[in-house]
Amino acid sequence: MMQSFGTFVSRNRRLLPVSATIILFFIAYAVGAVYLPGMRDTQVFLNLFNQSPYLLVAVIGETLVVISGGIDLSVGGIVALTSTASAALLRIGWSPWAVMLLMLALGTAMGAIMGYFITYLKVQPFIATLTGMWVGRGLAYTISNESIAIYDPIYVLLQRTKILIPGLSDVVTQKGAYITPSVAVAMIVFVVAIYMAHYTRFGRTIYSLGGNSGANEQSARLMGLPVNRTKVLVYTFNGFCSALAGIFLSIYTRSGQGLLGNTMELTVIAAVVIGGTTLAGGEGYVFGALFGVLITILIQTMIQIQGTLITWWTLITVGLITLFFIGLQSIIANLKIGQATGATISRAKRNQQVLLYGGGAVVVVVLAVFAFYILKGGSSSTKSSACQLKPFRQDQAVSLMKGGAVIAYERNGGANCIDELYGIYPDGRIVGDNGTQKIEKQVTPQQVETLLSFISNLGWFTDNMYTASHVPCGVCYTYFTSVAYKGQAKTISCVDGGTDCPSEYWLMTGQFSTILPKFAPAP
Amino acid sequence: MRQSRSSFDWRKITESKLFFPITALALILLFDLIIIPNFFRITFQQGHLYGNLIDILRNSTPVIALAIGMTLVIATGGVDLSVGAIMAIVSSVAALLMNPFVLGTQLQAIKNDPTYSYSPFWVVLLLPLIVATICGLWNGLLVTYGKIQPMVATLILMISGRGIAQLITNSQKIQIFYGPFVYIGNGWLLLPFSLYIVAFLCALAWLVTRRTSIGLFVESVGINARSSLFSGIDEKKVKLFAYMFCGFCAGIAGLIGTSNISTSDATSMGLNLELDAILAVVIGGTLLGGGGRFSLLASVIGALVMQAVTTSMYAIGVSANSILAVKGVVVILLILLYSQQVQDFIRKITGQTRMKETQS
Amino acid sequence: MAESKDIITMEGIHKSFPGVQALEDVDFTLKTGEIHALVGENGAGKSTLIKIMTGVERPNRGKIVLDGKEVFIRSPEHAQDLGISTVYQEVNLCPNLTVAENILIGREPMKWGGIDWKTMNARARQILQGLDIDLDVTQTLGLCSVAIQQMAAIARALEISSARILILDEPTSSLTTHETEQLFGVMRKLKSEGMGIIFITHFINQVYEVADRITVLRNGKLVGTYNTAALPRLELIAKMIGRSLTEFDEMIKIKLESSKLIKGESLLQARGLGRIGAIEPFDLDLHAGEVVGLAGLLGSGRTEIAGLLFGIDKPDTGSMSMDGKAVNDYSPIGSIGRGVALCPEDRKDAGIVGELTVRENIILAMQASLGWFKHLSYQEQYEIAEKYIQLLNIATPSADQPLKNLSGGNQQKVILARWLATNPRLLIMDEPTRGIDVGTKAEIQKLVLSLAEEGKSCVFISSELDEVLRTSHRIVVMRDRKKVAEFSGEVAENKVMHAIAGSLS
Repeated sequence: MMQSFGTFVSRNRRLLPVSATIILFFIAYAVGAVYLPGMRDTQVFLNLFNQSPYLLVAVIGETLVVISGGIDLSVGGIVALTSTASAALLRIGWSPWAVMLLMLALGTAMGAIMGYFITYLKVQPFIATLTGMWVGRGLAYTISNESIAIYDPIYVLLQRTKILIPGLSDVVTQKGAYITPSVAVAMIVFVVAIYMAHYTRFGRTIYSLGGNSGANEQSARLMGLPVNRTKVLVYTFNGFCSALAGIFLSIYTRSGQGLLGNTMELTVIAAVVIGGTTLAGGEGYVFGALFGVLITILIQTMIQIQGTLITWWTLITVGLITLFFIGLQSIIANLKIGQATGATISRAKRNQQVLLYGGGAVVVVVLAVFAFYILKGGSSSTKSSACQLKPFRQDQAVSLMKGGAVIAYERNGGANCIDELYGIYPDGRIVGDNGTQKIEKQVTPQQVETLLSFISNLGWFTDNMYTASHVPCGVCYTYFTSVAYKGQAKTISCVDGGTDCPSEYWLMTGQFSTILPKFAPAP
Repeated sequence: MRQSRSSFDWRKITESKLFFPITALALILLFDLIIIPNFFRITFQQGHLYGNLIDILRNSTPVIALAIGMTLVIATGGVDLSVGAIMAIVSSVAALLMNPFVLGTQLQAIKNDPTYSYSPFWVVLLLPLIVATICGLWNGLLVTYGKIQPMVATLILMISGRGIAQLITNSQKIQIFYGPFVYIGNGWLLLPFSLYIVAFLCALAWLVTRRTSIGLFVESVGINARSSLFSGIDEKKVKLFAYMFCGFCAGIAGLIGTSNISTSDATSMGLNLELDAILAVVIGGTLLGGGGRFSLLASVIGALVMQAVTTSMYAIGVSANSILAVKGVVVILLILLYSQQVQDFIRKITGQTRMKETQS
Repeated sequence: MAESKDIITMEGIHKSFPGVQALEDVDFTLKTGEIHALVGENGAGKSTLIKIMTGVERPNRGKIVLDGKEVFIRSPEHAQDLGISTVYQEVNLCPNLTVAENILIGREPMKWGGIDWKTMNARARQILQGLDIDLDVTQTLGLCSVAIQQMAAIARALEISSARILILDEPTSSLTTHETEQLFGVMRKLKSEGMGIIFITHFINQVYEVADRITVLRNGKLVGTYNTAALPRLELIAKMIGRSLTEFDEMIKIKLESSKLIKGESLLQARGLGRIGAIEPFDLDLHAGEVVGLAGLLGSGRTEIAGLLFGIDKPDTGSMSMDGKAVNDYSPIGSIGRGVALCPEDRKDAGIVGELTVRENIILAMQASLGWFKHLSYQEQYEIAEKYIQLLNIATPSADQPLKNLSGGNQQKVILARWLATNPRLLIMDEPTRGIDVGTKAEIQKLVLSLAEEGKSCVFISSELDEVLRTSHRIVVMRDRKKVAEFSGEVAENKVMHAIAGSLS
């Protein structure tokens, strides 16, 4: 029986990386659900999709480029350009549909130009797409330096609409599990891309181009395939996907900004690799792209829900997981070489394989330890006795606002029953009080201003942001935020782990966590 | 044996490795000379030289440092995408060495005191450089023993490096007041002090690569690794050295960059600078992905070209927002200059013939 | 059987590259319904002839007639359109796609706007069955054995154009006996359908098994075209590598005189040294002042012996000792340290570092043995380079020319100089005269003898038997990756040829 299992695995070796990704995703999700009760809600799973349509289409496009043996670093730049240009055009009154069409055309054109440089002028893909990113982002900055808010009703509609999942929701009360229109469109692109990759000549030619250390492109040419045309087209398609991602992102944040999509290239490439596509080309499944994205977003979500870790753990974890998958791909590639030549593997090769397997195993173990450590940190409530919830500091918050603070932000609850109150002043001063410590930090007034305008652009002072607090669950936090800006003042409270709060609220708390000073942990 | 139809002088010049980068620099400076009044004016203020040219020199020092190290790595046929992240890590380590209490709560006492540093100065300089070299070692091990493609291998540190830098400082931006450290990036000895550091690094690199056989081996491995193997050259050791040296140079760049803004900012330190460094090397003429002959001087000039473009744009009055876009366009033009078609065209003009491959 | 006629005729083909005459006045004819073997050692001109037939190269002089009409084959695509298909040794397919895809990609059957996989797989299966092959077409090509990959390549070649000529370039090198039989079955079937097949191989047995006619090339010249049935094996080998009348026969005298000086101390001893899949365990003794020649056909294991002696490969069995001390460090740098040098067969990928100058190439191994820090100054490098440029008569405008600019012969001299500069005690030369003009060949052979006179030990590997006979004090014969015989230098040529050819002759 082991024999037949072995043959089954070796026959379908191509599917190994993707399978590993899918399995890893489900394991991670299951582990998360066990340790972090906040994750058990169906909506949290669906929110993985809701947060990620832009990343998904970008990764789909990039996967195809990578399979063809190339690479495209311009994703972030095109996203920045399309989002900023959309916002600017909408602001001067263009029709949203015209804007979207124009942006798609723009991205497609940029992709085509880069494809032309790479194919006919023989510029290396790395360099050509890098300069594409600069031009894109640079043009975005030229249009506007700060973020431009989008108030266009169609965009608002696209952002707010919830497509309810039949069976998991109640049409009458309009509550329940939902996805956004962007996700629906992304899914359509996903299906189309899969069809293209496996059922069109264009897609099969893409596969024939990559891999084999570039020799495949030569072979493909000798086989009479339309190599040049395909290369240009694959970059063109990625340009289209990047533009679409830009549109999704501008809908999600209801703004356009040059900074949008900064360092997005990294995340996209990491997701491509995690999704089972090797950067050498020739191998990979568009299907894997979905799971690469899901894992990346899952990590972000888990860290956010856990609450006590800095968000930069996301980067480290993503980096480690990428390393694991690269190692996996390397091992598989070496196995293939041994198989194909049929020669008995010499001692040296065997040692090398042991090294790789061993190395891979070490990485997995390290990952597992990290994961355990991370999750342990958030689950202390299951071990230690339940702590006493501290009272809210609403009076203190009010007096802060009276004393000139523009933002008062309180976070109460969690596994360690903390109560942290921050006050942010327009001159850049930030004060923090958690009952036992008082801390202080100085940032620039510009940063405060940026923060305020960001919050305002989220729609803080509109009816789209509302209070939805209730008694928190075991390790959940209650948040109170008061913001005073341009003559308006509003306080909104929310509880995390649930589904009632508007998603923009979490965008805001995410921003807070990068700027607020940290308290020293309690002894 | 070989034909030499055109005049002797022309070929010597056009074939020289420095031809393209110097031409590029000359073109840009020419443009400045014509379009911008007083671009080349240098005055003496506040005890040091002052002017656009000085700005170019000063702002380019981190990229020059990166380019020196990157040259070696690219010459071996690889690339190092993680140098920006290494700069961030170095920044965090250095800041923390000077002021570890910032992680706690008693930061009031140490504010603003330029004579205070928790660790002695030489430790503040040495330890981050060691960390940077270890990062280079990590990259090198992945490439040589892990047999992972360089772009992929260095991508890992590029992604997680900033996370690590943030981890070290608990995601705070640490301000630096320690005088001697601030002097690195902001001091003047007639010319910016960082320029001397970089010049020293350049001299050191030249000594290491040309006064030992390391340079020859790097080129040999990059051109033809298998032939080098048969000649007794250990490809793994050579590549390990290249990546470690690149890490070391990134460390120096990180120290300069940190000192420039007197802050340790893990989010933005060295952001996108790896791309500048790679382009500097490419403009300098070392082939990306091809490997082989390299010229440190050409890469330095390439870095100057990049910076000259930026400074010139500012001087014309291009707004800060548009700099990036213009830089992109200029780079495209330069890259096209290097493309095979254009080079063939130029060769045809200067009367050279292309060598045909001989059959073995 | 249909009357067989000429499909393609090549007349008076001349082709030269800078410094080398690859083909000189070669004629070749292929008939319908025949398997025509093209043989000759490396450098004989086989691959050049094929490249001209397939449009990769164009002849300097000569005529090609296809179906009675003269043609100028412009490019590989043009050759394909004319019905000439080639399957190369490195299979030019995409290993990451399935077998069926490789056969049909670019012309996949479509259904409702998308690829019809079911029909495609069925069609691929059908094509292969037409070649009497039955296999799973949904397997990834890269996971299949080389034999299957070749079948797929042949299938694609036949499917694409109405091929009339099928060229198989060294198809059996990686095949097992059984797979070779299968391939021959396919070839015979195609032959019976009227296809003309050109079969390039260095396996003499296979030539006799399946070929109708044989064309022998040597040093760029046509030796002759023969019916297989009328040409005994020994004669064939004689035509491929046998003695040619040259004016170098006086060198025999020189050698005989210097052979009195040999039998210096034993330098190297190999006992039972072997490597799985590369070479069977062998014993070998090398002495100072002696030239040992390794004779044998391509693929007989000579290069593999060189690789073991120099430490490029590690042995799986046996041991080697130098000066009585056992060798444990199998590596190039270790060998150089022990005074062993190898001038490799593959100049392009194991010798030349093209962009480096002549000077740098010459001192490269020497510098490697000195390590990173004992750096030879420019002056020292220059002097060493100049010394060898003079000694070996290397034609170059200056020592600072990039090596890639030199002709093949001079490149070979530079590589030789590199190894001489390390002052070795044992110098192994693998095909040092391949692809080189006659004058340089003579120089190198003379050089080998003079090195022995100086007291060095040399191993001289060549496919040209007369070269080996001329320069060796002792001759070791290899066949099928085994050492089969050892003779003294005065042995009769006949005996060596018998040993090379094997028992059946």
